[in-house]
Amino acid sequence: MQTIIRLEHISKVYGSGNTEVWALHDVSLTVNAGEYCAIMGPSGSGKSTAMNIIGCLDRPTEGSYYLDGMDVARLGDNELAQIRNRKIGFVFQQFHLLPQLSAIENVMLPMIYAGIPHKERQERAAEALTRVGLANRLNNRPNQLSGGQQQRVAIARAIVNRPVLLLADEPTGALDSHTTQEVLDIFRELNASGITVVMVTHEPEVARQTKRIVWFRDGQVIHDHLAPTNLGQMTLVPS
Amino acid sequence: MNLGESLNMAVKTLTANKLRSALTMLGIIIGNASVITMVGVGQGAQRYASEQFESLGPNVLFIIPGSEEARNRTIDLPRTLTLEDAQAIASQVPTVTGVAPQLQTQQRIVYRNRNTNALVLGTTPEFTVVRDFAVERGRFFSALDVQRANRVVALGSDLAKSLFGSQDPLGQEIRIKNISFQVIGVMEPKGAFLGNNQDDVAYIPITTMSSRITGNTSPYGTEVSFISVMARDEASINAAQFQIRNLLRLRHKVTDVDDFAVRSQKDALEIVGNVTNALTLMLAAIAGISLFVGGIGIMNIMLVSVRERTQEIGLRKAIGASQQDILVQFMIEAVILAAIGGIVGTAIGIGGVTLVSAVTPLKAGVSPTAVALAVCVSGGIGLFFGVVPARQAAKLDPIVALRSA
Ligand SMILES: Nc1ncnc2c1ncn2[C@@H]1O[C@H](COP(=O)(O)OP(=O)(O)O)[C@@H](O)[C@H]1O
Ligand SMILES: [Mg+2]
Repeated sequence: MQTIIRLEHISKVYGSGNTEVWALHDVSLTVNAGEYCAIMGPSGSGKSTAMNIIGCLDRPTEGSYYLDGMDVARLGDNELAQIRNRKIGFVFQQFHLLPQLSAIENVMLPMIYAGIPHKERQERAAEALTRVGLANRLNNRPNQLSGGQQQRVAIARAIVNRPVLLLADEPTGALDSHTTQEVLDIFRELNASGITVVMVTHEPEVARQTKRIVWFRDGQVIHDHLAPTNLGQMTLVPS
Repeated sequence: MNLGESLNMAVKTLTANKLRSALTMLGIIIGNASVITMVGVGQGAQRYASEQFESLGPNVLFIIPGSEEARNRTIDLPRTLTLEDAQAIASQVPTVTGVAPQLQTQQRIVYRNRNTNALVLGTTPEFTVVRDFAVERGRFFSALDVQRANRVVALGSDLAKSLFGSQDPLGQEIRIKNISFQVIGVMEPKGAFLGNNQDDVAYIPITTMSSRITGNTSPYGTEVSFISVMARDEASINAAQFQIRNLLRLRHKVTDVDDFAVRSQKDALEIVGNVTNALTLMLAAIAGISLFVGGIGIMNIMLVSVRERTQEIGLRKAIGASQQDILVQFMIEAVILAAIGGIVGTAIGIGGVTLVSAVTPLKAGVSPTAVALAVCVSGGIGLFFGVVPARQAAKLDPIVALRSA
């Protein structure tokens, strides 16, 4: 099976001397193509740091990282920008839509940086918005959309460049339970269509709907198991 | 990302915040408007003065009293030029065909119950030739009138109108400084020279002027204000200038510094050019400073904008914008602000110049160089002052930028 993420002995140190913080400490983790993975753990346990490294927004202090077979730990800023653009889609807790742009214009943004011609951009953006159920909201500004709709626009933006990997850091943190379920349904569908999904979450009900759960604590992976398909049986706190 | 996309994006951002964009441009707008207007007015002043001197014809020389130093220091010139000097030039300088000494004062002029204040100019018959000034009705005074110091007067067209209205002035008696003069002619309209209306003037024989009106005010003889001289042709200008200077040096017993100057039309044009160039330069410098201040305004707002849009920058980087993409985006915003400010300012400046030429005799013009310069300089200012904010934006760490709430 093809490996999408391979973290090998990754450490991330912030600051130096007395103020040194080991946000990640010798983390090794492999995620294969087609997986749907939740990352859980207490606040400050290094989940976001790991996501940033996986998402090529940050470089590890130590260790190597292979993304889709490519060694990316030592790449320069421009190459990382290109990898983020082509291979990775991000979904954030606060959506991060640009308020002055309409839904379709927001979704077109990543394709502008990919150099895709205007016409194709429009077609693909409309397609992506249709996929998340917003075909009738193409020209609405973010402030004309509900939180759930905004997050769906953000998902459309994340998938429009056809990434191999979708990264979501607490994507449902700002949503109510109903819209949370809408977003999770979309994630499951995207995963079913072949995109690898990695999602940080605090909510057990959210993690339960993935295929695999990785637990972080104090910058280390302490538990890594398949998610129970049966909703009632999951042990929420690992041993 | 190509330039068209960047432009499009910048326009979107700038129009999303129209008021701020407009206010940001204001400095550049004012700067450009003042550059265009001031340079236009400066050049208009130059053109006006030049045309006036050119209208005198290339053969004319002026002899003015006073040393260089005295002329620079005071407007009350020493009375070193005399009627006798003028007569000597007429009789002894071969390259000269006409000599018109001039002596002038402002006087009260009365015809019956009407009276007015006007310039009274004493001169010789050659005046009409040297200054290319024709009589419309009647005649100008003759050499005999000068010789006898006759009380005769030729009126400028405006002065004739204000004293006589529709009545025929010829043969009438008017009083200048309470001395009666007979009107023998009315001049053709001539217009203004350097702001002085030549049609609101009474022309009388210079001898009458000095004996009856001004009196002998110079210790050297009959004082004159200055002397206009007509050289035989354009080729003899230099010779005439040289000969007159030598003659006057002899007559004035000059040993060291000349107490007079002989100026050609070319000299006058040069002086006008120097004065107005300095003026234009000064105006342009003031305007340049306001452009610079406008640039600082753009930088200031762009810095604020980078801070405000930190999250946007982080997001753009997360979805694949390179440092260069961000740099270009912010640079283009700055350049667009500056360039549009430049264009609007230039348009206002053109309006200002048009207004000035409509209400003043200055033929102010918009020089294409000034327009091109102003717009280019504005764009350049946008580039220059956009660099710092744009670099700041490009260097932002996407993680930090995304986290800032
Ligand atoms: N930029 C940073 N500078 C210093 N310390 C940081 C920075 N980012 C994260 N940390 C620290 O690293 C640890 C892990 O943080 P994070 O990955 O954000 O945790 P989580 O997302 O699991 O809550 C925390 O102790 C946090 O304070
Ligand atoms: Mg976190």
